[in-house]
Amino acid sequence: MPPPRVPEGRCRSRIVVLAAVLGLGVTACAGPPATRAAAVGLSQGTPRAAGEIDSFTWAVYAEPPTLDYTVAFDYPQNTVLSNVCESLMRWSPSLTLEPGLARSATQPDPLTWVYDLRDGVRFHDGRTMTPEDVVFSLDRQRDPDNAAAWAENFENVASVKKSGPLQVTVKLKKPDSQFPQYMATAAGVVASKDGVEKAGRDYGTSGSLACTGPFTLGTWKKGQSLRLDRFEGYWGARAKSKHVVFKFLTDASSRTNALLSGEADGGYLIPTESYERLRESGVGKLYFGEGLSTVNLGITNMKGALGDVRVRRALSLALDRSGFVYAGLGGGGTPTHSVTSRAAWAGASPETMKSVFGQLPSTKRDLAKARALVKEAGATGKTVTIATSSIGQDVSLLATAVQDAGSRIGLDVRLKSIAPNAFTALFTDPESRVGIDMFPLTYYDSITDPLDLLTNFKTGAYLNLSGYSDKRYDALVDRAVGTYDRGARLKTVAELQRHASEQLPWIPVAEWPTAVFLNKRITGAPTTISYMYYPWAAEVGAAS
Amino acid sequence: MTAATLTRRPGLAKLRAASGRSPLHLACLVVVGLVVLAALVGPWITPHDPNSAELGSALAGPSGEHLLGADVAGRDTLSRLIAGARTSLLGPLGVVVFSTVAGIAVGMVAAWRGGWVDSLLSRSTELVFAFPGVLLAILVIAMYGEGLIAPVAALGVAYVPYVSRLTRSLVLAERARPYVSAYQVQGHSALQICLRHILPNIAPVVLAQSAVNFGYALMDLAGLSFLGLGVPPLTPDWGRMVFDGQTAVQYGYPLSAILPCVLVVLTVVAFNVVGERWADRVARRDK
Repeated sequence: MPPPRVPEGRCRSRIVVLAAVLGLGVTACAGPPATRAAAVGLSQGTPRAAGEIDSFTWAVYAEPPTLDYTVAFDYPQNTVLSNVCESLMRWSPSLTLEPGLARSATQPDPLTWVYDLRDGVRFHDGRTMTPEDVVFSLDRQRDPDNAAAWAENFENVASVKKSGPLQVTVKLKKPDSQFPQYMATAAGVVASKDGVEKAGRDYGTSGSLACTGPFTLGTWKKGQSLRLDRFEGYWGARAKSKHVVFKFLTDASSRTNALLSGEADGGYLIPTESYERLRESGVGKLYFGEGLSTVNLGITNMKGALGDVRVRRALSLALDRSGFVYAGLGGGGTPTHSVTSRAAWAGASPETMKSVFGQLPSTKRDLAKARALVKEAGATGKTVTIATSSIGQDVSLLATAVQDAGSRIGLDVRLKSIAPNAFTALFTDPESRVGIDMFPLTYYDSITDPLDLLTNFKTGAYLNLSGYSDKRYDALVDRAVGTYDRGARLKTVAELQRHASEQLPWIPVAEWPTAVFLNKRITGAPTTISYMYYPWAAEVGAAS
Repeated sequence: MTAATLTRRPGLAKLRAASGRSPLHLACLVVVGLVVLAALVGPWITPHDPNSAELGSALAGPSGEHLLGADVAGRDTLSRLIAGARTSLLGPLGVVVFSTVAGIAVGMVAAWRGGWVDSLLSRSTELVFAFPGVLLAILVIAMYGEGLIAPVAALGVAYVPYVSRLTRSLVLAERARPYVSAYQVQGHSALQICLRHILPNIAPVVLAQSAVNFGYALMDLAGLSFLGLGVPPLTPDWGRMVFDGQTAVQYGYPLSAILPCVLVVLTVVAFNVVGERWADRVARRDK
């Protein structure tokens, strides 16, 4: 028996209704409002906490492999470590240098730095900080057996010695304007000699960190969370929260959902694709601050097509920087042709600023000129490989943008997918860079000095990814490093910047501010990149 | 016994209309036709270059320029869906062709030779059975890197037992029938009997299984692409589009992720329905 037929009229009306529902669904599922890319304003900070709080939870995108300060060079480690361990100097939320565990730093001659230590500073185990602890801590950074991430910043240090009951003297082999600034980073951390020696090989992964910060290391549930407990014997202002729980949420959408649901009260490094949802959620506020960060294309192979500076320039001219900022950074960034951020040049004279930023080309792309450069270099059709990863929008969309730019100017750009956990190896392991011509590279300055980034292009520098070498550039770096006067130094650094802009060992794409989300329960976290080395969690407390 | 093997399964029979003009079958046939057409001529009919990224148009809604909107990199979704049909169908086709040919060979040899050869081949395929296909594919990708060939080869191997076990049981049943003995008496070689006489008889059932496998393989490969392990980045592929669309979901505009999902589901269902129907016709099971 045939099935009963649906009357034709009803069938047609069902189809119309179905089509209407589908149409509405399609419209609702696509098309962001035109306001999405509205420029973000940078905040100096977040409102001060109104009072104390028992605990707050913070979302971090990865679990730190260790909290040993000598190898703390990445976001997750430093976000936690900055609240447990302190340095001789301090990088304030306004990105200026302040006294830290040393109440003063003096320079009797260009080769000597004298640090007068604070009196009565206690470690988490109750012992009092002594110059021996400082000497021990800094020597750990210099010890080749430790393979410290900060060792490069100590290459001009001849000796670190106790010179008084509360004084340490650092002797330099040659003048080094960067060394005193790095004493505000994890390079200048002071830990208890006894505590570190007692922990032995387990230091950083279990037990106490034997430091002086406003929080002590509490329970570390590997793979899940890490708790910090307030240190009641802290020398400075008492932390406003009794505990801080860091939750390791590797998946970007899980992190966003945790912030929206209240599972986490806040977090730095917000996924760019979540900016809009968080902003409009009503559960908290998204702030942006000075990041001293730039998104670049790090060239890793100068022997291929990118070895010709004309090809690098062509690629730079063809990149859709504004589009990348809109899509890749969620509108939270500024297209740039400068590898250094503007804020890193704080204190530079107007003439220096003009010489650095006034000469840069427009960020609008020029495909005709780019095509002509590729043709002139005889690189039409040549293959260029860029590494990409699902680590974040800033990486995957920049790689897509480069592929698109390359195809428009006659280059054959291929993408090589790298697992997120293997992506970090591109920075540290030359072997992992074999077969790759470039990769998206976000760099943040650890000090408020553009030289921090520009030294990377010196011959043999740790992050000189492509082996770029120019004797004149090296000489300029040495001159800048040896110049203590900031104004005079920045003039030399400006020359370095011009050289980098011409030679493009890295192709700059955009300036990227830091983003921090705080729900309505808490406030007080700084918005700037200072959170990497400043005990920011101590200032987070009740919003009302 | 043979008759029982060829009896139409009631589950699928219920789906079809009793008459030959089944609207479900017709609709599925149209879907299969369109998808195959897109796979064949896709690159020539896409309205835009599927890899052309207009970042400024990221997540743009449907418009005259982009009929189904744009993805997170500003690429035209419709063009990527059309161009993606080729990769999305080519992979499962490779899996099915390999697993069918290899499965028939293994199953036939095992059933015909029997004894230790049967034991060896049957235990070997059971060993492969015990290993999830997707896991095997992930392992192969980890060893040989991304691309279409590695997962297709791995899934092809993983799907062999489904075909070989079926073939073995069918050949065992056929072998007991008088016509096989007749050919043996006439002096026909084993290869001749298997290929010229048994194979045509078991082919419809095996092909029906392969049609079902096609749908599963399509889902597995789409799943691998979704995990970022299948085709390389930028390759238009439905699974890869869902992977890329995760960001769009975060933005709250998931159209570019939903559409490839819908296509995967529609294609799998359509291939299964059409495959079953076609197998029925060839086997004349509905007569």
